[in-house]
Amino acid sequence: MPRITSRAALVVAAGAAALSLVLGGCTSTPSSNSSGNVLRVWAGSATPISENFNPFAVDTAVHATFGAIYEPLFFFNQLSSDAPTGMIGDTYSYSDDGKTLTVKIKPDLKWNDGEALTAKDVAFTFGYGSNKSDKLVNTEVKDDTTVVFTYSTPQFTEASLTLGSTWIIPEHIWSKITDYMAETNPKPVGSGPYKLESFSDASYTVVANEYFRDGEPAVKEVQYVGLDSNQSSQDLLTTGQLDWVGQFIANPDSVTASGDIATMNNQQDPTVIITCSNADLGCKGDQTDPAVRQAINAAIDRTAIASKAFAGLPAKSNPAFVLLPRDEQWLGDNANGESPQSPDAAKAGQILEAAGYTKDADGFYGKNGKAIELDLFSPDGWTDYNDAAKLISEEAASAGIRINARTVSDAEYWTPISNGDFQMALYGLTQSLVADPYSNYSQYFASNGTVKVGESPVTGQNYSRYKNDVVDQAVATAGATQDTATKQAAYAQIQTEIATDLPYIPVVLNASQAFFNVKKFEGWPTEDNLYANPLPYLSVASAVVLTHLKPVSN
Amino acid sequence: MPFYARRIVFYAITLWATISLNFLLPRLLPGDPAAIMIGKLRRANGGRPLSEETIKSIHAILGTGTGSIWDQYVAYWGRILHGDLGVSSTRYPETVSSLIGAALPWTLALVGTATIISFVLGVGIGAWVGWKRGTWLDHLIPATTLVQSIPYFWLALVLVAVFAVHLGWFPIVGGYDVFAFPDGPELSWPFFVSAVQHAILPIITIVLSSIGGWLLGMRNMMVSTLSEDYVTTAEAKGLRPKHIRGRYAARNAAIPSLAGFGIALGFVVAGSIVMEQVFSYPGLGKLMIQAVQGLDYALMQGVFLVITLAVLAANFSMDLIYGFIDPRVRHSG
Repeated sequence: MPRITSRAALVVAAGAAALSLVLGGCTSTPSSNSSGNVLRVWAGSATPISENFNPFAVDTAVHATFGAIYEPLFFFNQLSSDAPTGMIGDTYSYSDDGKTLTVKIKPDLKWNDGEALTAKDVAFTFGYGSNKSDKLVNTEVKDDTTVVFTYSTPQFTEASLTLGSTWIIPEHIWSKITDYMAETNPKPVGSGPYKLESFSDASYTVVANEYFRDGEPAVKEVQYVGLDSNQSSQDLLTTGQLDWVGQFIANPDSVTASGDIATMNNQQDPTVIITCSNADLGCKGDQTDPAVRQAINAAIDRTAIASKAFAGLPAKSNPAFVLLPRDEQWLGDNANGESPQSPDAAKAGQILEAAGYTKDADGFYGKNGKAIELDLFSPDGWTDYNDAAKLISEEAASAGIRINARTVSDAEYWTPISNGDFQMALYGLTQSLVADPYSNYSQYFASNGTVKVGESPVTGQNYSRYKNDVVDQAVATAGATQDTATKQAAYAQIQTEIATDLPYIPVVLNASQAFFNVKKFEGWPTEDNLYANPLPYLSVASAVVLTHLKPVSN
Repeated sequence: MPFYARRIVFYAITLWATISLNFLLPRLLPGDPAAIMIGKLRRANGGRPLSEETIKSIHAILGTGTGSIWDQYVAYWGRILHGDLGVSSTRYPETVSSLIGAALPWTLALVGTATIISFVLGVGIGAWVGWKRGTWLDHLIPATTLVQSIPYFWLALVLVAVFAVHLGWFPIVGGYDVFAFPDGPELSWPFFVSAVQHAILPIITIVLSSIGGWLLGMRNMMVSTLSEDYVTTAEAKGLRPKHIRGRYAARNAAIPSLAGFGIALGFVVAGSIVMEQVFSYPGLGKLMIQAVQGLDYALMQGVFLVITLAVLAANFSMDLIYGFIDPRVRHSG
C-alpha cells in the first residue's frame, strides 16, 4: 500500500518545511532581494569553483578572468563581419608585407588599482609567459600609447589571436611573478569593467571598476555561481534567482513562457564526424578511402539527426566550413553552401560501386570479399552525440555501409583522437572567431598541423591527419595576403578539395542557447543588434554584454 | 588480549594493501591525462600553438612517465607519510588536501546525519512493525522497499520540482544560500539557519531512498527473535510487553543492523554522488567523479585514500564494539 508511505512522506516533508519556515522566520534576511541590482550568472562552472584568476590558465581560471577583469586590445565579434572594436586598443595597422604591426592604445587608461596602463604594459604582455613567440623579433614602445611589433613572418591571419585574445597584464604586478603557470592570482589587477569583490568555492562576485575607461558599468555587481547540473540552473532561472545562463534546454518555451526570460540561439560550431583519413600517416580502416567518406556523407539524414538528436536547435552545416551568412563573401562555389539534408542511399551506392565496392549477401558493401566495417564513437553521457551516432549508424546501414556506434569515457575519447588511433568519432570543431574562415582551414586541414599516427599534433588540430598539397598551398597563399580577391581564389580551391575529400564529414552546426532575464535587466543583444554573442561563458563577448546592460527601473 | 592484537595486525595488513591498490588503480585506467589537458588547453586557447615550455610544465604537473612504477610507488609512500596528497591536475595549482578539506565537512554533516536518521528510523519502525507482525503494518515493508527501488536521481528530481520549484518550500541548490552569503561560509546564526534549510531536502531524499533496507532487515530479525525461547520465557513470566519488546527482542535483533550501520558510516565519507549532482551540494562524491573524468590521479588517489581510511576505521571500531557487546565474537577462533 504505497498510499501510507506517500502520506507519511508528505507529513515528514511538511514538517520539515514548517521547520524550515520557522528557522527562516528567526532571521530577517529575505534571501531574494538582498540587493536588487546584482546580476546573477551561471557561466558553466561546476562546484567547487577553484580560486584562479590567472589569465594564462585558459582552462582552469574562472570565467570572469577573461573579459570582465582582463581584456585584450580589441573585441572581435564572432557574429558579424564588422571591423573589431577597440577595448584597450584604439587603432592597429599592418605593414604591406604583414611583418610589422603598429598598435595605438587609448590614452589615459588605468588599471583597477589606479596605476597607469601604457604601451609599456602591452609590450611587456607580448614578451611574457606563453605569449612569447619566436616569430616576434622586436617590440618597440614608441610613446605612451604606441607600440610596434616586428615579426619574421606575415601576421595578417594572427590578428584575432594577437589582438583579440591576448590578455593585457600589468607589468608592475606580473614582472614579479616567475612561475606564471602555478600562479592563482587571487587579487587580479586588470583593466576590464569589473574587479573582484569576493570569492568562495560556491560563487564569486565582481563589482564595477571605478577606473574603467568608459566609466563604471550600470550593473554594479555581478555574481557568478557554480552549479552541477543544467536542471538546477533551469530551475533557478524559472524561479527568478538566476539572470543569465548559456546552456542546452530542450524545450525553451517552458522557461520563456512567463515573458521574464528571453532566449537566443546562435549556431556556429560545426559538429562533424572526424575520420582518421590518411593511410600514408598510419590511419587504419575503410574510412581512409575518400569514396567511403563520400558515401557516408550522402547516406546520412541530417534533417532527422538535427530534429531527433539535437532537439531541432542546430542550423545546417556546409562542407566548405564557412559560417553563413557571416562569411558569404568567402564561399567559392554555392554548391558547397549546404550539406545534403536528406539521405540518398542510391547515390551512396553509386559512389561505392564506382570505387569498386560490391554488395555482399547481407546487403553491405565491401571490397575483395571483406565488408566495410567502421567504428564510430562518442563520449558517454553526451546524449546528443550518442543519439546522433546511433542515427548515423542506422542510416548508413540502410545504404549498405556498416558503422558500429559505441560510447566511451571522456578519457578514452580524447586520447585516441589526439594520437590518431581511431577510425571515426563525433567531434566538435571551433568556428573561426572572425569573419574569415582562415583559422578553420589552417587549424583543421593544413598538413603542418598534423603528425603521423601515434603522436599528437603540436601546432594545429588536424587530428584527421589530412594532407593535400593544393590545400596546403592555398592556406599559405591566403595567410600571406590581405587582398580579398587572392584570398577568395585560395579559399575556393580549399573548399573544392575538402568538400570532395571530406576528412571531416559535416553533420550539423551546433546550437548554443542563451537565456537572460529581460524583466530585471535591459540592453541584451537582439536579432537586429547582435553587438556580441550573449553567452556568459564566452570570453570578452560576455563582458561586452555586461557593459551594455542596465537594471530595469520599476 | 589476543583478540584485539589479531584484529590490529589484520587491519594493518589491510591498510597496506588498500593504500597500494590505491596507487595502482588509477594507473590501470585507460587514457593519458597529459593528452587530455593539452587538448583542452589547445581548444581553450583558440588554437594558439602551445609553447614548448607549457607542454613541458604540463608533463611535470601530471607527474606521469617519470621513473619506473617502483620509483613512483616509493615516492608515493613518502608523500603519503608526510600527509602530502599532491596537486590536482584538473584544478591546478590547488592541492588535493585543500579540496578534500573543503568538501569533507559538508559530506560528513549531511550524509552522516541522513545515515543516522535513516538507521534510527528504520530500526525503530522495523522493531515496531516486527512486534506487530501480521497486522496491517506489514504493508509498510513493500511500500518502503518500493520507494527505495525508485532510482534516486529521479526521486530527487521529482522532490525538487515539487517542493523546491513549484511550492517553493525549500531552496533548489547549494549547501547554503549563495546569494545571501556571496563571501562563502561564515560563523553566524543566519548562516547556520541557511545551511540547515538547504540540508533538509537532500536529507529527506537520502532517507527515503535508504530507509527500506534498514526497516526490512530489522523487522525480519525482530520476527525471528520473537520466536526465541527466552522471549517466550519472558512472556510466560508475565513481563510487561513494552519491556519484552525493548529489552529482550529489539536489543538482540538490532545486532546485525548495527554491523551494517558501521559499514554504512564508513561509506558516509564517499558522499552521495547523485545527491551532490542534483542539489549542487558541496561534497566528496563529485570530487571523485571529476577526478575520474579528468584522469586527475592525485585527486583520485586522495579521495580514495580518505574513503578507504574511513571504511577501515569504521570497520575497526565496529569490530571492537562488537567484541564488547557480543562476547561470542571474541572466542570464535
